[in-house]
Amino acid sequence: MISSEQSLALVLRRLAALGRELGKPALEQADGQTRLFGETAALDSIGLVTLIADLEEDIRIATGKTVTLADEKAMSRLTSPFRRVDLLAEYIVEVTSR
Amino acid sequence: MSLLTRITAYSAKPALAGTWGVVSYGQLGELVGKARRTLAQLKLDRPTAFGLIGEHGPASTAWLIALAEAGHFVAPLAGNTAEHPAKLALINAQWIVATGDVTWELLPRVDEPSAHPLFEQLRAQGSAGLVLFSSGTSGTPKAMVQDFSTLLATYETRHPSRLPLLALLGFDHIGGINTLLGALASGAVLVVPENRSVQSVVTAMAEHRVGVLPASPTFLNLLLASGELQSRDLTSLKIITYGTEPMPEALLRRLRQAFPYVRFIQTFGTSETGIARTESPEPDSTFFRFSDHDLKWKVVDDELWLKSRTQIGGYLNSTNENFMADGWFRTGDKVESGPNSTLRISGRVGETINVCGEKLIPQEVESVILDIDGVTECRAFGESHALTGQTVAVDIVAAGNPDFESLRARIRTICRAKLARHKVPTRVNFVSRVSGERMKKIRIKKRTHR
Repeated sequence: MISSEQSLALVLRRLAALGRELGKPALEQADGQTRLFGETAALDSIGLVTLIADLEEDIRIATGKTVTLADEKAMSRLTSPFRRVDLLAEYIVEVTSR
Repeated sequence: MSLLTRITAYSAKPALAGTWGVVSYGQLGELVGKARRTLAQLKLDRPTAFGLIGEHGPASTAWLIALAEAGHFVAPLAGNTAEHPAKLALINAQWIVATGDVTWELLPRVDEPSAHPLFEQLRAQGSAGLVLFSSGTSGTPKAMVQDFSTLLATYETRHPSRLPLLALLGFDHIGGINTLLGALASGAVLVVPENRSVQSVVTAMAEHRVGVLPASPTFLNLLLASGELQSRDLTSLKIITYGTEPMPEALLRRLRQAFPYVRFIQTFGTSETGIARTESPEPDSTFFRFSDHDLKWKVVDDELWLKSRTQIGGYLNSTNENFMADGWFRTGDKVESGPNSTLRISGRVGETINVCGEKLIPQEVESVILDIDGVTECRAFGESHALTGQTVAVDIVAAGNPDFESLRARIRTICRAKLARHKVPTRVNFVSRVSGERMKKIRIKKRTHR
């Protein structure tokens, strides 16, 4: 199982790497409150899908578990786990502890 | 009643709203008149190809109408002039109209007039031409030529509407052109958001009390996930039309919960055959029925075939391989048949991948990746995704023992530079060998190439 701190670090590290790849330096300064999409500095739909794919790979390496972060369960939540960095980090803890 | 007559008749009603403010039908008519006078000064003695650069707005709309009215050939191109040298050369554009919101610049382009049979045929018919390009920022996007006069005529019977429409699809896309012409024909206002982010769209919808939102399931999915709905007043919204990719039933259910008073209508269209009129048998159903007198359809081996009055004459730079000799167009969409002549899109025939409603074939991605140093084998494929319908994944065999993270980033960066955004792989897997019959051929080709 991944702890909350580990999960947040995982998301921030991945977001920073994606920021460098996309030429969006603002993503390297992200924190728990950073919105993941919908605003200028954040990601478009393809960027968000890329982040999710990379995180799934990170989780596989860290825990040996193959997980799907974006599924109907995640999408049908009242508060989307993909809205903000801290929500995504919390969701990863939940998914990896199932 | 022709589109121009309608625009004149709607006079004081708002026509286009966006970052420029609100332009009325009367003001749009004046802009059309100004464009018409500029055109007359060019003293063109034959139908001529124009590149029309810009986004949805008063100036671009005025020129689209003026060029159609004068029987010229027009290629709407989003962005700026410097982005499109290949496309402008392909249509042998003689003039470029670079539009701002309400202003424009007319630039000559030195080229011989095209003698392509598709243009010659339109000239002989006395019809205007519309050229739209298939998506793609590199390689060779297909240039699709259609009879613009016939397309415009299909809007002559539209009923007036007071519901403001939002323009989500671009000025260079058949869906965006359809939204624009539909709005103008019905005397509604077309609301153009500052950009296509969820936030920008929702802001424009609330500000201009948008009544009709044409969108893709991917956009609607992101709209729900964004949380923007909780803080905005979108009670003016009456209709959401969706298309370009399959709608998951669960997503439609969530949308109906979020928008209980909104009518959901599935649309269907292709760049080759235009946007068809459809109806949904039940509000919760992902099935639809064609209700378009200008369109015939049939299902052959689970694939949807269409024949429409507004279909393209052909491609300037490609063979018509998806058109049968008798005019039927093979859409590549796999369908399920339901009761009472209803249909449901279930995916794509063959290996075509559909990301956010935009299609691609795996070979487009593979050909770019196989040229990257450090990659020896590659297989691209579509993977289901809850956000975008499908996404592009690639299996890569790397040479030696590289830093996989850097190679993954390099592969995606090169793909971003050479491919349209929906074609960039989101998942890059490193494997010891790739599978599949087609890959044997690719491996052989790669060895020969080296």
